[in-house]
Amino acid sequence: MSASSSAPASERPARPGARSQLRRLAPLLLLALGVGALLMGRDMGLGELTAPGPGLWPAIVAALLTATSVALLFLDPAEDYEPWTAGTARIVAGLAGLALFIVLFQTIGFVVPAFLLLFAWLRLLGGESWRMALVLAAAGAIVLHLVFVVALGVPFPAGPVDQLLGA
Amino acid sequence: MTVGISDGIVQGFAVALDPVNLLYVFAGVLIGTVIGVLPGLGPTATIALLLPLTYTIEPATAVILLAGIYYGSMYGGTITSVLLRLPGEAASVVTTFDGYQMARQGRAGPALGIAAVGSFVGGILSVLGLMLLAPPLADLAVSFGPPEYVALTALGILLVTYLGSGTPLKSLSMAALGLLLATMGQDPITGTTRFTFGSVALFDGLDFVAVAMGLFGVGEILHSLERTDKVQAVTQRIRHIWPTREDFRNSSGAIARGSVLGFVIGVLPGGGGVISSLASYALEKRRAKDPSRFGRGAIEGVAGPETANNASSTSAFIPLLTLGIPANVVLALIFGALLVQGVTPGPQLITEEPEIFWGVIASMVVGNVMLLVLNIPLVGVFVQLLRVRAGVLAAFALVVTMAGVFSVNNDSFDMWVVLVFGVIGWLMKKTGFEPGPLVLAFVLGEIMERAFRQSMLLSGGSLDIFVTRPLSGGLLAVMAAVVVLSLVLARRRRAAFRHVDAEGEAGLDTAPAPGRDTRRTSDTDVPTAPGER
Repeated sequence: MSASSSAPASERPARPGARSQLRRLAPLLLLALGVGALLMGRDMGLGELTAPGPGLWPAIVAALLTATSVALLFLDPAEDYEPWTAGTARIVAGLAGLALFIVLFQTIGFVVPAFLLLFAWLRLLGGESWRMALVLAAAGAIVLHLVFVVALGVPFPAGPVDQLLGA
Repeated sequence: MTVGISDGIVQGFAVALDPVNLLYVFAGVLIGTVIGVLPGLGPTATIALLLPLTYTIEPATAVILLAGIYYGSMYGGTITSVLLRLPGEAASVVTTFDGYQMARQGRAGPALGIAAVGSFVGGILSVLGLMLLAPPLADLAVSFGPPEYVALTALGILLVTYLGSGTPLKSLSMAALGLLLATMGQDPITGTTRFTFGSVALFDGLDFVAVAMGLFGVGEILHSLERTDKVQAVTQRIRHIWPTREDFRNSSGAIARGSVLGFVIGVLPGGGGVISSLASYALEKRRAKDPSRFGRGAIEGVAGPETANNASSTSAFIPLLTLGIPANVVLALIFGALLVQGVTPGPQLITEEPEIFWGVIASMVVGNVMLLVLNIPLVGVFVQLLRVRAGVLAAFALVVTMAGVFSVNNDSFDMWVVLVFGVIGWLMKKTGFEPGPLVLAFVLGEIMERAFRQSMLLSGGSLDIFVTRPLSGGLLAVMAAVVVLSLVLARRRRAAFRHVDAEGEAGLDTAPAPGRDTRRTSDTDVPTAPGER
């Protein structure tokens, strides 16, 4: 955690009340998951111990999850939590880019989306120069295409550039 | 028995010296060293990212490759610890105390040299121990029935949650989540679909590779995006890497003790590298005539811990190869790789798949020799890798991850699974939950459920079966003992950590670390003592 990225959060300590409440979100989420799975396990049919149904084991582990998350509501050490920083916005941007990559990949194949993702990531998140990002992204997309499609024979969805590269 | 072992060793070397396997050992240790040096990617993330590759190769070759990455990264992490005080992985944190001080005194060469020699000795001795201890242990385990497997998997999960890094309660909760996620898809016995929400893509459950790649690979990359620090280049030339005779004399005792200590700690599930290197450092300091030298460039303080962490990363294979219980997260990934290949590691492995068991062991000998040969002359080259910028590495790792996970099942659904688990992995890091127990439990979940249901059928629905059978009852007793012991040890360890931390802090005053002290990745998290809150 460098000084530059965490400065806004660390210099201005969050209101203790608000933060201690916020961090309970994690155990609460787990609790909801546990209870939900417990109910769904019951619906699947618990069966008997002599003849366990499909829901018995999920219900057992969901009960464990529920129990631990209830305990966490009260026993969770606050120092485990990292502060939210300005860098969080970068992560959301990175995730959006990744999701867009998958959508594009499904429709127009590997090369173009890979180039776009590499370029955007290198330029915007990696802070490379325009030229460096362009060269690395183009080279990377082509080399990875050659490795995966030509050398390993992975059937990526077909796309507009594939004929050029000899898929 | 001895005949069996010597036959096995011969067979093992026949496998390990096969040109293809030789190539993969080399690739493994090289990749391991490189990622040990590179900023941002730890051994866990790398092994997760390379899992799809292992599908296309023989099971023995796959494990040889992954094992090479694991112990190779132990060497690589040393380089940055000594030169820049950046531990590439958690086990190298201790090396920064004296290693970095040696580098500041112009003795970076001998520090790296003795670390390489110590790691080599520790690795080789540990392989010998593995050869002698594993077969009898597996013989004992062959008689295990379903109740024993329930107890054994429960013990494995419990040990990793208790002895790993992070808060035990949070780890236990993650283990429960992992077990729950493992139940998604069709029920192995009745065929009922569970938690599929009507989605056909979920009928077969979540793919282990996609989950691991998301949690460890993408999660870690996302987490690193929040940091924008630069790594300082190394300008100093490294000379006199081969230690002098005096260096050897000073550190031979530390290396011998580190080997034994590392081996013993590595066999215990959850032991892994960090604890063994800390224990060795503490031991050497206690034994030293002049403890004040420690933290100021004492060569024993580098030799002992480096030896111990390599010895433990080798002996950690014993529980996996003989009982089918992964001792830590890296071994859980290797376990998963084998499961995907249709090989279930366990007591039968030695007899049913001897080429995997003995081949992997023999490859460790070969790999350690390669590492010694690579490291002594090529340290200068590896250091140049630090010039690779983290942003470039992250961008390429992401695209390779996505392409790789698609290639496993040729299904773009798995890409979404990676994305979702990437977000979960990042959030877990932010909130102090460990992904390790989740993945371990996810891997063991199906085995555990099946064994549990078989036990219930065997016993006619009585839970007594787990306690009354001597072996499973014994294992459960061990579990109880571990919980009690870990609570006691936690107190001691916490004290040891405070001690060690204080020293790290003392060093900090004199020399501000470039960028950051410790990269907080799943591999570099220094464990907080269990029960610390």
